[in-house]
Amino acid sequence: MSFVVPSDPRILTVIRAAVGELCLVYGLPGEECRGITLAVDEALANIIRHAYRGAADQPIEVACEARADRLEFTLLDQGEPPDPARLAPHPLDSVSLGGRGTHIIRMVMDEVCYQQVPRGNQLRLRKLLPAAAVATGAGRENL
Amino acid sequence: MNIATRKLKSTTIVDINGHIDIGSSPAFRKALLDYLKASERLAVNLRAVKYIDSSGIASLLEVLKEARGSNKKFVLFGLTAAVREVLQLTRLTGVFEIHETEAEAVEIATQVGGAP
Repeated sequence: MSFVVPSDPRILTVIRAAVGELCLVYGLPGEECRGITLAVDEALANIIRHAYRGAADQPIEVACEARADRLEFTLLDQGEPPDPARLAPHPLDSVSLGGRGTHIIRMVMDEVCYQQVPRGNQLRLRKLLPAAAVATGAGRENL
Repeated sequence: MNIATRKLKSTTIVDINGHIDIGSSPAFRKALLDYLKASERLAVNLRAVKYIDSSGIASLLEVLKEARGSNKKFVLFGLTAAVREVLQLTRLTGVFEIHETEAEAVEIATQVGGAP
């Protein structure tokens, strides 16, 4: 499953619905579905806020891929590259207002990989499926 | 997202409905700060919040700081699983004063004393 969406915050609710339903299809429990949906949403919000500086008309490619053992979400934008300091893990304190989105992504997903590729900034988020889901799932599947 | 307010005893209750994300959190933040200015005690009802992201949580944190700075009461109640999980992920559950019910929130909010 892949689509290109504008960097418009109003579109986030559509992506959240799609990601949440996808997680349910692959047998993930409700809390996991909500966590993955949140992580993907936070990554998109970072692109809108930082890479495109709030511009609502820029393209974001979203690809969701289900494999036998994992769900993978790849986001691609052509905005400004992220500040490495913002991507790096850092401890949270109770007073800072920012940086929680990146923290959430790292807490929820099993693997987070950022790369600059010829077409722009690529963020890959990977979530391993629980054993039960693996046992009932088919092989690689492009959604 | 929809926001409505009502008064119960001397507490302003803010009822939030819908999704709080980067699109709606600026309005969410501004509304809460405005209500806080006009009230000594603010209780936010999150029972109908279906989704909240880190920008919504940052808005709540900002209002909490403002309340503490002005010696006002700011409490949350009726947290859905979605809200509770994001607070846990951001390690902020213990930072906010959280109540299960509106009655508890209003009772606590009207007790003598300022911020926790």
